[in-house]
Amino acid sequence: MRPDKKIFSLMMAILSIVQLYAQNTTDTVRTIKIDVLVGLQFDLVRFNVKPGEKLNLIFSNSDDMSHNLLITKPGARLEVVNEALKLGQKGPEMDYIPISSSVLWSIPVVNPNQFRTLSFTAPKQEGVYPYVCTLPGHGFIMFGAMYVNSDGRMPELKDDSNIPPNRRVGDNSFSGTQHTNHQVKGEDQAVKIKALHPYTPVSPYIYRVFIDGASPAAIAVSLPGDLSYCWDAGTCKLRFAWRGGFLDNSELWKGKGDVSAKVVGNLFFRDKTQFPLSFSADNNAPKLDYKGYKLIKRYPEFHYTINGIDVYELILPKADGKGLSRTFRIPNVKSTVWFNTDQSDGVKYEALTGSWEGNRLKLTSKEAREFSIIMSVKEGGLL
Amino acid sequence: MKYKVISIYITVMLLFTCPERLFSQITNESYRVETIKMPDGLTSETGAVEFLPDGRLVASFTRGEVMTYNTLTKEWKLFAEGLHDPLGILVISNSELLIMQRPELTRVKDTDGDGIADLYEKVTDDFGLSGNYHEFNYGPVKDKDDNLFIALNSSSGGGNIRSEVRGQINPLGRESGSKGQMFSNLPYRGWMMKLGKDGKLQPFASGFRSPNGIGFDLEGNLFATDNQGDWIGTSPLHHVQEGRFYGHPGSLVWQKGWNRGNPFLLPIPVLDSMRTRGAVLFPHGIIANSPTQPVCDNTSGKFGPFSGQLIIGEMNKERIVRVMLERVGGELQGACIPFIDGNGLRKGNNRLAFAPDGSLWIGQNAHGWLGDMGIQRIVFTGKQPADIYSMNLTEKGFDLIFTEPLDVSTAINPENFKFRHYYYKYQSKYGSDQFDIQNVPVTGIKISNDRKKVSLTLASLKPGYVYELNLGDIKTSTGNSLNNKLICYTLNKLKSSSVN
Repeated sequence: MRPDKKIFSLMMAILSIVQLYAQNTTDTVRTIKIDVLVGLQFDLVRFNVKPGEKLNLIFSNSDDMSHNLLITKPGARLEVVNEALKLGQKGPEMDYIPISSSVLWSIPVVNPNQFRTLSFTAPKQEGVYPYVCTLPGHGFIMFGAMYVNSDGRMPELKDDSNIPPNRRVGDNSFSGTQHTNHQVKGEDQAVKIKALHPYTPVSPYIYRVFIDGASPAAIAVSLPGDLSYCWDAGTCKLRFAWRGGFLDNSELWKGKGDVSAKVVGNLFFRDKTQFPLSFSADNNAPKLDYKGYKLIKRYPEFHYTINGIDVYELILPKADGKGLSRTFRIPNVKSTVWFNTDQSDGVKYEALTGSWEGNRLKLTSKEAREFSIIMSVKEGGLL
Repeated sequence: MKYKVISIYITVMLLFTCPERLFSQITNESYRVETIKMPDGLTSETGAVEFLPDGRLVASFTRGEVMTYNTLTKEWKLFAEGLHDPLGILVISNSELLIMQRPELTRVKDTDGDGIADLYEKVTDDFGLSGNYHEFNYGPVKDKDDNLFIALNSSSGGGNIRSEVRGQINPLGRESGSKGQMFSNLPYRGWMMKLGKDGKLQPFASGFRSPNGIGFDLEGNLFATDNQGDWIGTSPLHHVQEGRFYGHPGSLVWQKGWNRGNPFLLPIPVLDSMRTRGAVLFPHGIIANSPTQPVCDNTSGKFGPFSGQLIIGEMNKERIVRVMLERVGGELQGACIPFIDGNGLRKGNNRLAFAPDGSLWIGQNAHGWLGDMGIQRIVFTGKQPADIYSMNLTEKGFDLIFTEPLDVSTAINPENFKFRHYYYKYQSKYGSDQFDIQNVPVTGIKISNDRKKVSLTLASLKPGYVYELNLGDIKTSTGNSLNNKLICYTLNKLKSSSVN
């Protein structure tokens, strides 16, 4: 957690303690906390109060846009939202709060990482009192409902027409673009899962995404047979590989995307070398430069340079589906080439050319012009 | 008399029977908004729209797709996939694009002629990347000498950075306080970068917070919009010039030879004296909250009378904004005015491009903020809009030029010109209130012989203020009302202080 958020949270905590203390002494004021979620939503979409109950509303804003909060007469939300829009160029100086008898209480604009409080007494009249942010464009989707009644009744969440439609399915759910991204298997699932793209992705295919265990310039590739790997353009190497699925991007593609893609399946390989290829025995930190990839029958062949020498790497599923086959081309290499491995990286190696020296495969410059490495999943060897 | 009654009767009948069709005819709108049907299964959060030499549209989307659209057959076709949040396209040919994605600027090319890209070649990735969600990259745009320009968003104080980053972190690029400001602790976040023909990416100008939209005008001036927030009182349009600093401090740590420590700790007057102010400010909540790409009307009249002016998208409203600029005291400044408001336009107006036929295509996006999805286009119907063509500063006030001759009686009525001024503070706080809001009386009105130019004298003019003008019910000589009645001029420099 970063310092600014810490302080913000600390202030909120102190405020809560103050509220608790106030509650203990007066024993009549209830505190309601409302914050803002990504995508123009209040975190609390509805709550229940008793008629005439004394309330303290803390409205905090952990979003990165400014918001206000108005409580209106029952049924008057849209009217108030439209009145706020009509303020036009007077909106900013009035905190987008229209002068209207339909506005019962209001909290002016709260900037990101700020909060404001409002003390009020709930209406005597039972009913559903909307609360809404009236910044231009927000009011049509950013609202909630204060239920005022003595018996605490509220409709089933899914049937509650007083809250935004995408919140009627449980508090942590969003409608629309959220769905899993497992490889679709069979017709039944294909029908159920909403399309991720205007086409059905056919392996091999690529997502450039943020993914844990790699640099932010990662490339994730789905191979036929439920094999997947992450090749990292930031470090010019295969970082890890897994079986049993590809990626779940649902969190990544929802909202602002402050998360990573999730690996679906089980890791069977993770690179542990400083760098898998070296052009001299001492394997000093090579100078790497990523160049791009070319699709060969949809399989990417990565191109990069090591100390200025072109290297091409094509990764295919192993014939039996239980590993990867990596083909390197280094057409202009003039020196001996070593391919480095680590015993704890999860796989067994085979090579048709070159000679093994411990964990390193030694290739003559001629052999290194094109060579293949087979990486097989070790028995029970999931990482 | 009888005819008149009959014609009214017919009009009423027609209105009653087919209101929609008739309405669009009798109102004679100058611009029509059309919605493009998107392919099934596409989450059409649009990151870029451009046109290929053969006339097809090419667009990129948040989930990494790049698709082409044949405007005649209305067919969508996939060109490339798997890109990371592609937010900009520069068209090289029908089979080759430069695409700005998160990790790099990429050449995406179909080398075997099957219509599908097969080569994804890095053009440059010589900038820092922390994985922070706000590190969007914009552009590229090309100048007359074939240099490319890209803009790099600052990182968000509200977001995370990954354990593995690209580039060497400089902690001085981030404030140590508690305000959650945007930051630049990796190279060149918050910079406009120039990619020369030698392939080297060079820092060009600093101080950007969230420059979601860059573009050139017809004279070769480079512009970038920025978004209201910390250090940005209200969203500006910047005229971007080499070596200048545009206000958001974090990026200064990457200035060559920077030795003044954490720029967030410099006194505000010092930072203020270093910065170049926005050429045009979009008053927040009044003109735009989140302006996007500036495109220059290069249609030579196919899109109406505003050739050479800038058209800019707005994310938060159903609005497109128009900007008119002039040089005062050696610097560009000018006015902004709503251009399309509603009329079927959606929100999220993120990317704009003129089609060969002169229509303006709009790619829409939300990306977790306020917006919409899809693509719409705006077509000039041929009916001259009744609007302000330009607003120019004079020594005593402003000259307004209209697209149509005006009705003299409404045009010389001072009640129809309500000015107020205000300014925004340069501060670390998120956004700025309007300060010193004052009505400014109009003390003199003159109209030109052709009745298209109205010269207004104001009681006072102060540099550093926005002059907001609300027009009353001014009519054209043919009795039409004006399309837009609100215009805001950013007065950075007074005319009288002009050197030239």
